[in-house]
Amino acid sequence: MKRLFCVVLGIFLLTGCAKKPEEQNTITFWHWMTDRQKAFEELAKKYEEQTGIKVKVDLYAPSDAYTQRIIASAQAKVLPDIYGILDKKEIFASFIDSGFVADLTAEFAKDNSEWEKAIFPKAIDVNRFTEGNIYKVKPGIYGVPIDVTNIQMLYNKKLLEKAGIKKAPKTFDEFLAAIEALKRVGITGMVSGWGELWMLDCFASNYAFNIMGEDKIMATYRGEVPYTDPDWIKVFNVFKTLREKGAFIDGIVTKLNKYSEQDFALERAAFSFNGSWCVNVYKDMNPNLQYGAMLPPAIESTFPLKIWGGAGSSFVVNNNSSRKDKAIAFLKWVTAKEQQAYLAQETKNLPSNRQALSSIPEILSDFAGVMDQTTHPTIWSHNENPLVAERYIKGIQSIIIGEKTPEQVAKEVQEIKEKELKKLRKE
Amino acid sequence: MGINRYQVYKFFKLTFIQIFLMSVAVTCLFPLFWMVRSAFMTNDTIFTDKSFIPKIIQLGNFAQAWTDGNFGVYFLNSIIYTASVVTGIVIVSSLAAYAFSRLNFPGKNFFFYMFVAAMMIPLPGSFVPLFVLMNKLGLVNTRIGYILCMINVGLSLSIFLLKTFFDKMPADLEDAARIDGCGKLGIWWYVALPLAQPAIAVIVIFNSLNVWNEYILASLLLNDNSKMPLQKGLMVFQGAHSVDYPILMAGLTIAALPIILIYLVMQKHIIKGLSSGAIVG
Repeated sequence: MKRLFCVVLGIFLLTGCAKKPEEQNTITFWHWMTDRQKAFEELAKKYEEQTGIKVKVDLYAPSDAYTQRIIASAQAKVLPDIYGILDKKEIFASFIDSGFVADLTAEFAKDNSEWEKAIFPKAIDVNRFTEGNIYKVKPGIYGVPIDVTNIQMLYNKKLLEKAGIKKAPKTFDEFLAAIEALKRVGITGMVSGWGELWMLDCFASNYAFNIMGEDKIMATYRGEVPYTDPDWIKVFNVFKTLREKGAFIDGIVTKLNKYSEQDFALERAAFSFNGSWCVNVYKDMNPNLQYGAMLPPAIESTFPLKIWGGAGSSFVVNNNSSRKDKAIAFLKWVTAKEQQAYLAQETKNLPSNRQALSSIPEILSDFAGVMDQTTHPTIWSHNENPLVAERYIKGIQSIIIGEKTPEQVAKEVQEIKEKELKKLRKE
Repeated sequence: MGINRYQVYKFFKLTFIQIFLMSVAVTCLFPLFWMVRSAFMTNDTIFTDKSFIPKIIQLGNFAQAWTDGNFGVYFLNSIIYTASVVTGIVIVSSLAAYAFSRLNFPGKNFFFYMFVAAMMIPLPGSFVPLFVLMNKLGLVNTRIGYILCMINVGLSLSIFLLKTFFDKMPADLEDAARIDGCGKLGIWWYVALPLAQPAIAVIVIFNSLNVWNEYILASLLLNDNSKMPLQKGLMVFQGAHSVDYPILMAGLTIAALPIILIYLVMQKHIIKGLSSGAIVG
């Protein structure tokens, strides 16, 4: 019995504790995107044929499991050569501070910034830390976006035609007229996953940018402009008008985005507010769906309407890897025009390389064509206090269900804002 | 002859109990039925066909799930993991529970309560230290590393269940075995283990379920696809934003079959195990 125990223990020690030598010609790449695994494997095969460098593509899904794996690997100092950080910017900053992420600024600047120029600037901004950033990270670019995303309006071509609408509406008045026409033939106007607060925030923010411009929004966040300002009332009124016109599908404020995607794919509504990832979703749910993408119809012409968007998925290079240069070379190759067009074709995501736009499907091109009009809270100079932001969005939900007026909501939000500002001043 | 009040009361009571139990059964079985029904549908019909039996039957989903999900390799891995982990848990937990129940040694209660306390720590809470430890031992991305961790996961509850069982075992049985020449290990093997069969059946089914359905720890500790369990195959059908529901449901049906089979085979012991106590010995 004792002998057997010793033999088993010996086997454990011999097989378990032996460390494998590092292979210099193999780089490891960890990601979380199940639907892109095949395309990544294909690219890895092609890269090996061209360069002799093997890329080991490891998938850890869902994203929660991936995040756990990345945090645990960082603690154990066994991060792969290329990986993504799926968390808030402050976590990204803490990875940089701990020396786990390579500074890619010099690489992007090489050859007259050729690499940087090829990629959508908004996608790079998500991975950039600017001078004087609140995270106190050394200014620079630390990540590589391999695709981009943005959130727009979708319209169902067949349903619009049924209502006698020939062209997608461009202004808010045209949009309201389209809603009326759709109602006459018994078609629901608009669906969106506004049970998810961030999606409603996104739509409201589009109109805030259009009505008052970025400077005034930031001034509000700083506490210099009240929410009772006529421009903010105008933003709240967008929702009141849409409700009064009967634009929304029933239960829009409790709908999760996946259910709103089902509604649009199954032609239960003519318009939808959704992100570019929907191309993949609609393809699976209804391959025959005829739809197009358009910007939310603008109300004012003084300030441009800005939509949320930026990097879809970004990857960083392990600063402690002995194969750092090889990892950077692979990411450069993946973000080159040819590989980006291939990824867009195969995975139906928007390429991060703008030179690849000419060779991607029309609907993706519609989405990507307005990347220059994108913005995102992560790149704003200020963000709203979470308590105020929550009251603001829940207030909009109250307007949509007819529970409160825009003025009431504006007053309530401003009261919380003042309370929070007072707290801040005391600190 | 009139119907007496007691008979009326009994009739209504029984009817109420039957309706309640039937509704519980329907609640349990409906998700299974929905899974199997969806496994026979197509992507086009899954959101539109509301009929009880699908109008278009797609039998190919099962074959596609098996091949696309690489189920052959994952299925074998899951069988290896489930068999090894459950065997490990039964051996270690029965030895430990026997020791906690029948032997006297310093710190006996302290160590037992430590094991019980471990039940309160959720697995994800220990991921980071566990990964660091396994990495230091060189056991990351090894089958044995994953098996050892999973044995550890199942030990607390199993020791607790078996100790409760052994506590009720009559001392006379041990004395008789000792007279027949059995040592401590002999008593454990020849007396305690055979008597604990119902409790072991409960441990087997609980832990089989746990290991068969486990994925998060596997994705933390294992890198190679060739070592991943069956749940990994199911992830293939779930994209970040879209899900291939019919294939996923076919995959889930395949994955659920062995566990249903184990449950059917062992259900007699499980019921006995859960209601046991006074009948030991």
